[in-house]
Amino acid sequence: MAMHKNRLLFKKEGRAVYISHLDLMATFQRAFLRSGINVWQTEGFNRHVYVSIALPLSVGYSSDCEILEFNLEDDIPLSQVPERLNRALPEGITVLSCYEAKIPLKKIVDLGWTVTMEYDNGVPEGAAEGFRALLSRESCVIRKKSKKAKRGYTELDIIPMVKEWTLEEGEHTLVFRARIAALNPGLNPSLILDTFAKDHPEWTPDFVRCHRNEVYGEMAEVFR
Amino acid sequence: MNPKLERILPRVQKPARYTGGEYNEIIKDKAQVDTRFALCFPDTYEIGMSNLGLRILYGVINEMDGVWCERCFAPWGDMEEELRSNHIPLYGLESGDALNQFDIVGFSLGYEMAFTNVLNMLDLAGIPIHCTERGNDDPIIVAGGTCAVNSEPLADFIDVFFLGEGEEVDCELIELYRQCRKEGFDRKEFLIRAAQIPGCYVPALYQVDYLPDGTVARITPTHGAPAQVTKRIIRDLDKSYFPTHTIIPSTEIVHDRVMLELFRGCIRGCRFCQAGYCYRPVRPKSVDVLVQQGIEACKDSGYQEMTLSSLSSSDYRGLTAVCDGLLEYCEPRNINLNLPSLRADGFSMSIMERLQKARKSSVTFAPEAGTQRLRDAINKNVTEEDLLTSCRTVFEGGCSAVKLYFMLGLPTETDEDVKGIADLAQKVYWTWRDYSSNRQRGIRITVSTSFFVPKPFTPFQWESQISMEEYQRRVDLLRSCIHNKSIQYNWHEADTSYVEAVLARGDRRLGKAIEQVWRTGGKMDSWSDYFSFQRWLDAFEAVGINPDFYARRERRKCEVLPWSMIDVGVRQDYLWQEREQAYKSVITPDCRVRCMGCGANKLLPGGVCDEDRR
Repeated sequence: MAMHKNRLLFKKEGRAVYISHLDLMATFQRAFLRSGINVWQTEGFNRHVYVSIALPLSVGYSSDCEILEFNLEDDIPLSQVPERLNRALPEGITVLSCYEAKIPLKKIVDLGWTVTMEYDNGVPEGAAEGFRALLSRESCVIRKKSKKAKRGYTELDIIPMVKEWTLEEGEHTLVFRARIAALNPGLNPSLILDTFAKDHPEWTPDFVRCHRNEVYGEMAEVFR
Repeated sequence: MNPKLERILPRVQKPARYTGGEYNEIIKDKAQVDTRFALCFPDTYEIGMSNLGLRILYGVINEMDGVWCERCFAPWGDMEEELRSNHIPLYGLESGDALNQFDIVGFSLGYEMAFTNVLNMLDLAGIPIHCTERGNDDPIIVAGGTCAVNSEPLADFIDVFFLGEGEEVDCELIELYRQCRKEGFDRKEFLIRAAQIPGCYVPALYQVDYLPDGTVARITPTHGAPAQVTKRIIRDLDKSYFPTHTIIPSTEIVHDRVMLELFRGCIRGCRFCQAGYCYRPVRPKSVDVLVQQGIEACKDSGYQEMTLSSLSSSDYRGLTAVCDGLLEYCEPRNINLNLPSLRADGFSMSIMERLQKARKSSVTFAPEAGTQRLRDAINKNVTEEDLLTSCRTVFEGGCSAVKLYFMLGLPTETDEDVKGIADLAQKVYWTWRDYSSNRQRGIRITVSTSFFVPKPFTPFQWESQISMEEYQRRVDLLRSCIHNKSIQYNWHEADTSYVEAVLARGDRRLGKAIEQVWRTGGKMDSWSDYFSFQRWLDAFEAVGINPDFYARRERRKCEVLPWSMIDVGVRQDYLWQEREQAYKSVITPDCRVRCMGCGANKLLPGGVCDEDRR
């Protein structure tokens, strides 16, 4: 299919983080209709507003940098779109900008993540070192569930997929920031945490917040 | 958001059910709010948010200054476990505040099998389940909806029942609550005064005595409560609130579309149908108002689908005009119009074809009974010819699936009537063979039977439900009569319908059984994932109740029915007369052909319903 003309950059936070990928698409379809902005609709018997969201975000994760593609049919300044859409969107979803798509989505290489591990009774001794040690290994092959693979899983070396990372140690939190491979294959940060706590159940955080903060292209430049 | 809640949501299925925050949700400044109302639906979010009544009441109550109405739904089992183990009380979706902090907690009762959820939700909210255990600081517990016409099984748990349509009476009760609080709130005093509001039934103010045979001897009002509580209706639907500006869920619900209510009430009088009698008299909305509200609702929601709803949409006089008016807006915007609840007649088929741009692959008809004799007995005025002609129309249009709904166990049903269902399905098949525009595609005819449950305020309210064994025998008989591979037969399990029959015509002694079911783990009884027939049987035994007394006993004409203190407009002697007509298989003309004087017209000023009657 030809590339879509327009993109939205939007945030997903607060109560909206529990909206699933499919439901979020329906939410945007309705928001476009509510806003009165004319958007290309699919042809056929069951015509509907066409939207496509790049890189589905897991339920419960927040993000500053979601990208949605669509085709604007109105001749209105793109700069008007965010404000009009935001009036039609539920709490927690905020359109930051609307622009013309220039670089195809497949050029996305990495995602920037902030993963906050919360420990109610303080960060366990050795956990931070353990985390650093894991990411400092030469390689770490994990099994990732796969519907396509015959065995039901594929093997994945997570080490080369995690780039430019830092770990900040607080009294009750470990904050892991990293640029992580986004596509073909991508790595969900939860898999790193699973690996980290696998041999040390006592290192399992009481709660984890995953936040996507940036999208990067081939040269680690910000992707739009 | 409550930090405890944030921890548990990632662990439950479909967390968006439990967060609120949808488009058009109403948030008020607590500093400007003096009364908080929790509108509770005792089933899942997806079902509750599909309920038009809930949306109407949410809007009406929130229009009151200083009153904040929030929503609450029954959590699924995984969420309930998390709430209980983390000591999070059930909360209003808008504020996240615990339900026990609210002033009034109201339940919408659409189905008897949701009764255990009412108890479970009260308990999850930290509210004492029994009226007698609640003090001045606990919320007032109210309930309305179809089941409120016989609310006796919940008499131990609900302080006030609303009878009929809630738009006005809910607000009147809230105003009384505010008044009583100004004067120094006393719970008992409030309830005594509430009973004076027309349409409010306060069960604690009625003394029920029983005869040695277990039937009701008398129902005595106390503290000045009225001997009969008459249901409320909205007289002018054009002027009443309609939710054109309503919550649009951020997760998929059952009816994810604009719902437009054409009229209330029904002219038909099918003798098994509780809604048909309880929602009388017929009150239509005007075409202009409908078209305008429909367009507004589409604009405000962003939905690309709209359903026109009523009990029998073909009976709406302005149906063509409404459809034309809406199509003018909807067609260029790719918004689909749906028109369910159509009668199987030529007019309906032609209007349906006009609405459906895409060929409809499946059509549903509800002849309810297999022979003309039985259809006459239940006053379902659909003839075989109507049905087959309608089938011919849809088959010619390319339809390749037909669903046919029937009931087994209707009063006067014989084996001939049961076999008649198979014959009718076979005739539908022949119609397809003769008229299908595309025989290659094949045909799927689905016959479904449910187990008839006699309901209060219908001509069959005195009937015995047939036994579960007899129901099964009739199911087996029907199965043995269907030999065509294109006809598939589905039947409902008998056990849920049996429990429903017990509860539907129960008295207040059943409260103990409902409580026992809930205490032994019962909830979500309308879901096969949760329903346990054995749990209900065990509970009946534990509290010394014979369920057959309620489900299987034919009532005498002179018997004091447990719901005798309720007046829905239609007179009891009219219902009895209709029952006698049923036994003679004599049909009663619909309200437009001739007014039979059922009594519901008295609910309207001037005593004239459906005023365009000519």
